[in-house]
Amino acid sequence: MRRRLLAMVPSGEDLDVPGSINMWLFVVGELFIFAFYFFVFMMYRTHATADFVGSQRHLNLAVGAGNTVILLTSSYLVALAVQAAREGSHDRARRLVRWTVALGVVFMTIKLGEWAYEVRHGYTFPSDDFFMFYFALTGVHLFHVLMGLGILGLVLHELRTPALQRQFVVEAAGTYWHMVDVVWIVLFALLYVLR
Amino acid sequence: MTATVRPAPVIGGVAPGDRLDLRICWWITVGFYGLFGVIFVLLARVMPPPGADLSTEQIVAFYADHRTTIKIGFGILMVAIGGAAIASGIVAYEMTRMSVGKVFVYTYIVSLSVGALPGCLLAAICCLTATFRADLDPQVTELLFDITFLSFVGSLGCFVANYSILALAILLDENEVFPKWMAYVTIWQIVTELLAAPVFIFRTGPFSWNGVISFWEGTALFGIYMMLLIRLVRRNITTPAAVS
Amino acid sequence: MRFDAQRVSLWMSATFGGILVVAFLIFPGFFPPMSPTMSAQEVADFYADNAPLIRASMITFDFCGVMLLPLFTVVIHQLKRIRTSTDVFAYCYLSAVTSGAALLALANLFWLIGAFRPERDAHLVQLMNDLAWITFTAPVGTMVAQNLCFALAVYLDQGERPVFPRWVGHFNIVTGLLVIPAACASIFTSGPLAWDGLISYWLRLATLGTYMIVMFVVLRRVVAEELAEEAGSAEGDLALAVG
Repeated sequence: MRRRLLAMVPSGEDLDVPGSINMWLFVVGELFIFAFYFFVFMMYRTHATADFVGSQRHLNLAVGAGNTVILLTSSYLVALAVQAAREGSHDRARRLVRWTVALGVVFMTIKLGEWAYEVRHGYTFPSDDFFMFYFALTGVHLFHVLMGLGILGLVLHELRTPALQRQFVVEAAGTYWHMVDVVWIVLFALLYVLR
Repeated sequence: MTATVRPAPVIGGVAPGDRLDLRICWWITVGFYGLFGVIFVLLARVMPPPGADLSTEQIVAFYADHRTTIKIGFGILMVAIGGAAIASGIVAYEMTRMSVGKVFVYTYIVSLSVGALPGCLLAAICCLTATFRADLDPQVTELLFDITFLSFVGSLGCFVANYSILALAILLDENEVFPKWMAYVTIWQIVTELLAAPVFIFRTGPFSWNGVISFWEGTALFGIYMMLLIRLVRRNITTPAAVS
Repeated sequence: MRFDAQRVSLWMSATFGGILVVAFLIFPGFFPPMSPTMSAQEVADFYADNAPLIRASMITFDFCGVMLLPLFTVVIHQLKRIRTSTDVFAYCYLSAVTSGAALLALANLFWLIGAFRPERDAHLVQLMNDLAWITFTAPVGTMVAQNLCFALAVYLDQGERPVFPRWVGHFNIVTGLLVIPAACASIFTSGPLAWDGLISYWLRLATLGTYMIVMFVVLRRVVAEELAEEAGSAEGDLALAVG
């Protein structure tokens, strides 16, 4: 029965979903994994809400919000890129993806700057439970942003090569990037906003 | 090649019945992981790990309580550890059937066979050394305890290299030796390694070596990964060669 | 004389293996082997009194130990020539050999660390000594796996002219079986299974020594046969092309 299940999952192009069924599986799995981290975070937070709120004040809400806007914009751009690729305007799609990558890099730079700021003011990984979660969760998210940039780089190569330009690759990358954005929004809400 | 027909993964044009060497290696792999579970969970009691926040007396008590089963379990592991080499060999063989060429295969093998030392054997050797003498100094016992669990849970890089190369190989492979989704399951393992890094910093909480994220989630995901990998190799072994 | 990578590898391993044997003979802790029942102070005194010889022999060991590897890579090359349905045994063998070499390197370092600070606490010196001996003696699994893979490959050889004679397969199995009991050196502090005992020490070292020598001789012959085969087929191709 297991073997039949395994045999049933086809390669990316076969199914009638935007992009790649494999990427959707990946994204759903990632969301589950992140959901588990958020769950653990909330469990710890419930037991020490006052401490968490107290530490949270040392985060800069404006910077967090700014990063959220940046990532949302990049998601919008990559969605436009997917649409452009669908219509066949691969040059326009490439331009849009380049902008997405640029915004992704800006996001990472701001995040690293934020980390440096916190560390310099004495709030490090082992400082307290809140900052333990803060650095761990934003760190894992940053790893995913990095992976996303790699995937987008792949898309740029794909769009540049006339022999390739496969739609499902662009769609899959878009799916992944949206997931990165969604995860960040939840992170932002939990770490910066939730009181 | 049409999109509707997936080519059956061919193994050298040889019929499944003749692939005796692969079958033997597969069964040894399955046996090894089963034995691994018995040794680490039931005998040595290092999975799940005792707390990273135990006092020196509690650590000494841990070894005193489980002295016999640790000796038996890890003593067996000293002989059985070769199974890990066979497990990595059979996956490496599958990778040679991929279209990406053999370079990835060598990284795969080397990263795992080197990783076996800090990731498994060092823990076993330190546990055996800790139980070797009945009158061992408590501070020394505590040191061996730390080495055991920090290396077992905290050896990260070898396995990140291993997972990265496997995931890349699967994604780039045009022969579909493994389905693409397996690459993503492999990438999850990289994430679990990342989240095991804090074990060197925290002695309590979800990021300690027995923590709910660094240990439990990581181990659960690893179990899923390994079961899928073993199943996929089996599928390849038992698939008839494609008729041209 | 044709310089073949395999021949070079075999002779490198033989040469460094020879130096390794000398290092073993010089190491004060080997002939006769140190007893696990020595007290911490006795161990510390031993390291303090014999530091120069320990360091000299173990530094030599440091250089030569892993140089046994080339012989095993020749085995891997020959395993790939064997006509089984796949190459899987060669890859398993590579993995096992790499792990084994890493263990040897680690054991050697533990001895050297033990001899580094003579003024160190006695029980810490004993710890290094314990770790060295256990790491050196007990993890026999990589050898068991290697030899098993080799023997299976020999038995499953379906070629018209088998690469290795069958008795080499038997020899590998027997060698693997003989070293298995040495795993108990991690458990017992006295008796034949302890790291200085008849089985874990003397039998194991004699077995491994014999194994290296026999495999060296066998591999030399197999490599020569391979080269002759290649030369024969090359001449045949030449004859076809010319005539």
